[in-house]
Amino acid sequence: MPTVKLYANLRKIAGTKELSITGSTLGAVLSELVKQSPALDDVIMENGKIRPHFVITVNGHNAIELDVSVGEQDIVAIFPPIAGG
Amino acid sequence: MSGWSEKVLDIDLGTQTYKTYPLDMEMAQLFIGGRGLGARLLWDMVSPDVDPLSPENVLIFTNGPLTGTGYQTSNRFSVTTKSPLTGTILDANSGGFWGMQFKKAGYDVMIVRGRSKTPAWIEIRNGDITFHDATELWGMRVFALTEKLGQDNNRRNVLCIGPAGENLSRIAAIMNDRERALARGGPGAVMGSKNLKAIVVEGKERPEIDDPERFKFMLYEARKLLNQSPLTSQALPEFGTVVLMNIINNVGALATRNHQQTQFEGAEAISGEELTDNYLVRNASCWACPISCTRISRTEKVEGEGPEFESTWAFGAQCGIDDLPAIIEANTLCNDLGLDTISAGSTIACAMELSEKGYMDSDLHFGRADQLAPTLEAMAYRRDIGSDLADGSLRLATKYNHPELSMSAKGLEMPAYDPRGMQGQGLLYATSNRGGCHMRGNMVGPEVLGAPKLIDRFQVQGKSSFVILHQNIAASIDSLVLCKFTNYGVAEEYFARVLSAVTGIQYATGDMIKVGERTWNLERLYNLREGFTSRDDTLPPRLLNDAPTEGPSKGWVVQLEPMLKEYYRGRGWDENGVPTKKKLEELGLEAL
Repeated sequence: MPTVKLYANLRKIAGTKELSITGSTLGAVLSELVKQSPALDDVIMENGKIRPHFVITVNGHNAIELDVSVGEQDIVAIFPPIAGG
Repeated sequence: MSGWSEKVLDIDLGTQTYKTYPLDMEMAQLFIGGRGLGARLLWDMVSPDVDPLSPENVLIFTNGPLTGTGYQTSNRFSVTTKSPLTGTILDANSGGFWGMQFKKAGYDVMIVRGRSKTPAWIEIRNGDITFHDATELWGMRVFALTEKLGQDNNRRNVLCIGPAGENLSRIAAIMNDRERALARGGPGAVMGSKNLKAIVVEGKERPEIDDPERFKFMLYEARKLLNQSPLTSQALPEFGTVVLMNIINNVGALATRNHQQTQFEGAEAISGEELTDNYLVRNASCWACPISCTRISRTEKVEGEGPEFESTWAFGAQCGIDDLPAIIEANTLCNDLGLDTISAGSTIACAMELSEKGYMDSDLHFGRADQLAPTLEAMAYRRDIGSDLADGSLRLATKYNHPELSMSAKGLEMPAYDPRGMQGQGLLYATSNRGGCHMRGNMVGPEVLGAPKLIDRFQVQGKSSFVILHQNIAASIDSLVLCKFTNYGVAEEYFARVLSAVTGIQYATGDMIKVGERTWNLERLYNLREGFTSRDDTLPPRLLNDAPTEGPSKGWVVQLEPMLKEYYRGRGWDENGVPTKKKLEELGLEAL
């Protein structure tokens, strides 16, 4: 089962840093994630799309499209808008 | 002309005299202020035969036409000099309050020349300039000195050096308002070489604004945009810059153990989340800044500003250390000693690798948090092994016959982003006019954060155009002088509009980018005149030849050569990286 890691304020919203979520695409994983943590629904998604400035990676590679494949051992990391330098 | 004070203060420390004269306004319109104006003035004043630590080098402090107006982040100022660390042109800028106060004292520019026979400090109270004896202050650390000289944020502001600057450490910073720093490239050593301990300013003048109503509207618009942007209204205030630790580690671009790896297993322990949960006391902000990204942190031993992401990385991942309290304490110690945290941390990491490989006789080892504070003390006072480290990693590694272990470009230690995982960042480091630096245009936005838009970080072809644009924008913001974080919410077109409202001169967005391009090319000309060539547009061999063996950047090295060729073409330079006559004419630099 893929592992979803949450960062920054998403941890407080979801009440956890990490979850195991079923799903073979990014879209499926995100759908299942918001079912388990409904508070994240409007935070991450907007009209069925990932909100602007959210960064989502699968095994450290940026994923933009919801149809990106996600394997059983993959790690999906979700970052809310962050900045710095 | 509104915005500018139109006045230069020119100080000769050798004779302890000063003069004031009108600013060349034709020059000011072309270069605006800050970094651009400083570069143009340095071109005329400091030639290739000048040793950076000799009395002939100068410190040029500049603000800009927006400084002190109250426009969001209009607190910053800049210092320009020839770097004692790299030998390149150097500009460093800083926030806080001092820049605003300097503008209120009635000057756009302050030039400091010569060398005082004995330690001195300067007090500027509006038009009155007083030279004071600093013999009894020499040796004082930054925090105690700042308090002694009467720091009072909105009324009287202190800029000074600590022991590192006095002892001519080539990675010494100039500190202002206690914990803000003109950090990179060793300007603190230049100030120390002049026997100048501090400059204290008080001012009462208000910058004149050409169109107050339009300016007020621009203030309103900028406030709205900064409030609307999740980056400036939530991300930066809530977690500060250290929030980058986990994401840069996640994508395999976090330089670790002197760039031997690209991911750090202890990243979570030194992350922004950890800092916020366990060490944050409160937020703070520079003058006229609604973003409030500054952290005030506390451990059992210290309470102070920061640490920022780069400092946390330098003493953390780069040294293989996951002890956040020790990192916070190292950061505070650097501020008190007047050391650049990035160069200090990366130089210690270099020494750790030299020691572990048996090239240098010391007990420094990766992961030893207990070694940070004593090593920094030794560096600032040039004690024992610290004397070798005080001049940065390239001189250190060269002394021990392994210059390839200095993780620097043109001698300036690179910051946190390992460019094997961010190709554009690699080109940016290699071509930066002051050496390895993330503030000369930062590719982390487009290559990782998707700001303003995500591009493929491993892409090579076409990457140079992004780098050039970001470098020009950075140079233009540095010439205004504003904080680059405003650019996360406020686009460049707004900078042109507010500059027009303040000065009465109509600037378009393209004009602002052109100011940046002009500045970049002038800095390039300066470095070429100093003897730098395209051979210096390079990176440590490790980044060009040794691919990471694991993580998301596995198998990648920086593909510098093709990007560099494309970059020179894109810049309008010849194949040797020299600006063409046509380009110089286009930028109004043909006479140089």
